Amino acid sequence: MEFEVLAKCPITRARVSRMKLPHGITMLPTFMPVATQAAIKGLTAHQVEALGITLILNNTYHLNLRPGTKILRDVGGAHRFQGWRHNLLTDSGGFQLVSLNKFTQITEEGALFASPFTGEPTMLTPEESISIQHAIGSDIMMQLDDVVHTLTVGPRVGEAMWRTIRWLDRCIDFHENSGRKNSQSLFAIVQGGIDPELRDQCLDEMVKRKDRVAGYAIGGLSGGEEKDTFWRIIKQCADKLPEDRPRYSMGIGFAEDLLVCVALGVDMADCVFPTRTARFGVALTFNGPLNIRLKKHATDLRPIDETCTCPTCTSGTSRAMLHHIVTLETAGAHALTQHNIVFQARVMGGARDAIMNGTFPTYLKTFFANYFGDTGYPEWCVNALRSVGVDLLEDRPHTKIIAGDATKWEYSDAA
Amino acid sequence: MAMMNAELKPRSSLIFSSSPSQSHATPLPHFGPRLGEVNVQRQEGAARIAIKTPGMMTATSRGVVPHLSRDHVRLTRAICWVHVPFETFLEHNPPLPITQPGPRPLHQFLGFSPADHVLSVSARDPFDGRDMPANNKDYVATYCIRGVRKLTPEVWAQYDAACNPDIITALSDTPFTSAPHSNKRTHKSLERSTAWLANLLHSVAARRREVGSDGEPLTGSLSNVLVHMAGGAVVQARKAFAEGLMEDLEEFKAVNPSPYRRLDDGVAGYVFDLVPLRAALSARSKAADEDLGDDADTLKPRGAINTLTPTSSADTSAMDPAALSEVLRASLQPLPTHKPRLVNSARSPHEMLRLVRDVGIDLFDAHWAQRAADIGVALDFAFPVALGDTQPVDARVAGSPRTKVRPGEKMDLGHNLYSGDYAHDHSRLAANFLDGRSHAQQTAEGSPDARPVCPCGACSPRSPGTHILHSALDRTSWEGQAGADTLEPPFMRSYVHHLLHTHEMSAHSLLVMHNLSVLDAFFVGIRSVLEHAGTEEFNRQVDLFLETYDEEMVLFDEAKVDWVQVEMARGKGRLAREKIKQAESSLGTSVDV
Repeated sequence: MEFEVLAKCPITRARVSRMKLPHGITMLPTFMPVATQAAIKGLTAHQVEALGITLILNNTYHLNLRPGTKILRDVGGAHRFQGWRHNLLTDSGGFQLVSLNKFTQITEEGALFASPFTGEPTMLTPEESISIQHAIGSDIMMQLDDVVHTLTVGPRVGEAMWRTIRWLDRCIDFHENSGRKNSQSLFAIVQGGIDPELRDQCLDEMVKRKDRVAGYAIGGLSGGEEKDTFWRIIKQCADKLPEDRPRYSMGIGFAEDLLVCVALGVDMADCVFPTRTARFGVALTFNGPLNIRLKKHATDLRPIDETCTCPTCTSGTSRAMLHHIVTLETAGAHALTQHNIVFQARVMGGARDAIMNGTFPTYLKTFFANYFGDTGYPEWCVNALRSVGVDLLEDRPHTKIIAGDATKWEYSDAA
Repeated sequence: MAMMNAELKPRSSLIFSSSPSQSHATPLPHFGPRLGEVNVQRQEGAARIAIKTPGMMTATSRGVVPHLSRDHVRLTRAICWVHVPFETFLEHNPPLPITQPGPRPLHQFLGFSPADHVLSVSARDPFDGRDMPANNKDYVATYCIRGVRKLTPEVWAQYDAACNPDIITALSDTPFTSAPHSNKRTHKSLERSTAWLANLLHSVAARRREVGSDGEPLTGSLSNVLVHMAGGAVVQARKAFAEGLMEDLEEFKAVNPSPYRRLDDGVAGYVFDLVPLRAALSARSKAADEDLGDDADTLKPRGAINTLTPTSSADTSAMDPAALSEVLRASLQPLPTHKPRLVNSARSPHEMLRLVRDVGIDLFDAHWAQRAADIGVALDFAFPVALGDTQPVDARVAGSPRTKVRPGEKMDLGHNLYSGDYAHDHSRLAANFLDGRSHAQQTAEGSPDARPVCPCGACSPRSPGTHILHSALDRTSWEGQAGADTLEPPFMRSYVHHLLHTHEMSAHSLLVMHNLSVLDAFFVGIRSVLEHAGTEEFNRQVDLFLETYDEEMVLFDEAKVDWVQVEMARGKGRLAREKIKQAESSLGTSVDV
């Protein structure tokens, strides 16, 4: 991997970088759409490429179950399998072991879980996880981590953090001995829950291994913690992670979360949110999400967003037509999925341009004014951005401030 | 109707002619294979769209080609004539497409390009055979997600004027109440269908006169109205309906001045919906059995919804090809030969071939092939049957295994990609076709394969020619990339197998594009044999096709079983909206979004 920081925001910690991987160049910061089972829901790889996407995510846990490593090796990897010509990142499977399997037992050796097919006890070790990711052939691999639920407290959090470090060493050793070091890059995952002290210890240990890892992810968040805690942990990690390595915040997808993370120094993020919410009939816009299923859109002949470059908007698909088909025709899901992926890419592309031009603080202000101007700003965003020198309320002292998550959503006004 | 957009719009005309390659001196045969060309001409002077016949139409559900995004529709060259059942739009009043401004509101609303796509509409989904409340003399009972809606011929004409499809089918009184129907009911059906056709023709002619050049003679060559051929399974009734179209209208002139001498002068083509027709034939043969004292099984419900083939042997009489041909010919006998004949819901390529050969049908909807994509079947057959296909062949032909051969030596029409047999099959979808990339390579190497290329988005995908740029820096990502708009390797059977088992909707997108392309190639094959080898050779090739490929379609039954199993294994249960969808329409139903 080649990683080069091209520009830094003079105020915030945001930066633009160029990340060169075996399947091309990806400009950061970027959002990665999720193709859990080797397909972005309903689309083909060529459609995703046409949307201007250069980096997608596959899931190790899922691809190991289906189609399995034999098939992936036979066809020459997941790129060929799904027809994807660009960069691919694979999650290690640690998170899915815990989120999808109630009976996963973690031992020092690895994670012991019941196979969803046969029920047989199956062991996923750090070495095995890397071996699977070798079969997949992803450009970026994630280490196997010991994931605990974000809200867990007590000694288990520390135990998991230290084990994640030991497992990182095993992943590094296995990967370096595999001879694939130049074709695939390994990322470490910072753990430690919402305990700043544990995070610090983890960061110290992982930064020591900098020369043997290509980048760092911030894991263990987006699991129901307070937003106020969330941004502080992100900031703590981003501040301490080395300048010359990409930083990847796992499981982040709301536009405001993405921009706050970018301002705190994050380069990459992924989430199923934009593609999942599309299937439920929600179109993302710079003025907030539109719930296309609501009656108010039923006769609206305007496209979702006249300024949008996505195939759905440029082909003139009206909100009324979308209302007619969403959640009833898969084609409705495809149309909104294409739109939402482009929306995420526009949010991040706009951030890249602004950082390059030295106007990122203004970009943030404009975004929040358009997105939250009518409903009120989330307090945590205001605080997080103040911590890096941007005061969203500078020119608008009377803005309503909303405590808590303050996620924007379009509810029915009928009910 | 306050919101209806009532401005006058440029109309389309449907013109049918024998294929230019045929001598113009030879008229189109009355009953027998016909080579022709349907031209859709637009009054606004836009380029006409020509569709060669025998050819195909693409079916839609809720106004979309199921599983295809708009870019995939544009990519699929097989999609040219698109048929839209209008009834799903009746859940809103006024229906949404008629509120769309512009000269071509339906095209605009649904996202089809007038330059590339012909849009036809009918009130009802031709594949929906469920029982419905009775029609009466003033309206047809139609079905939408919110229940039954009454549609009168006057309102139908207004919708036509407002949303301006290229082609419109007049309302037809087809009974969807329990069969068999009395003579009296059949008689009413003819009367109403005739009156409703007259009503629509009148309205269309009035508008055409306002928009068009003055004094233009109104003839069939300037019509875009199709008529569904009424009469059910009663040969005499079908004949009577057709004869009615040819009768002089003079006697009515005083009361209701008609722009045409005969109704048929305003008709651009004839439609046959096979779902209600098969139900009627089945009822007729059951009645015949009872006359013989045969205690026949209870009738299968006419609702053919979500089934591909009635496999019960009780229904074999309804599958009797001769009986079907007989009733279609009864309708066509009194009518002129120079208008296209359209068939909806043919259930196999076998049936299509017989209807081309024995009746002279010109256009078929692709419902069967699209439904196959719903249940995970990748079609893989060709007409004429490729050499070597008749013998049991070595499983691997040029790296792409052929379809299964069933006991009785008949080959499958495609691959049930749910089957575990395909988990390790990394070849392109169809053995009968090359993928675009292999074809290009072979041609470059000077060893071209005789097989045609499947141009679909699954077999011949191309890298995008353009990428959306999201920042000024994004060019960096694409500049170094070799090959924009170049052929990419085909999607593999193993990948589609994987997508089916993991419930990924992309499986169906790939299969729909592929199956439509295979059916399109089938019609290219039919036309090619007719054009270059003549009718006799065509008949011989039809026989060979019927002998080679399995018409029982065991394959489809197996696929349906697998599809259900994967659905069940999913565990969470079906969502309520999916049930609504299941009940509501026939295509695109297999996937939970």
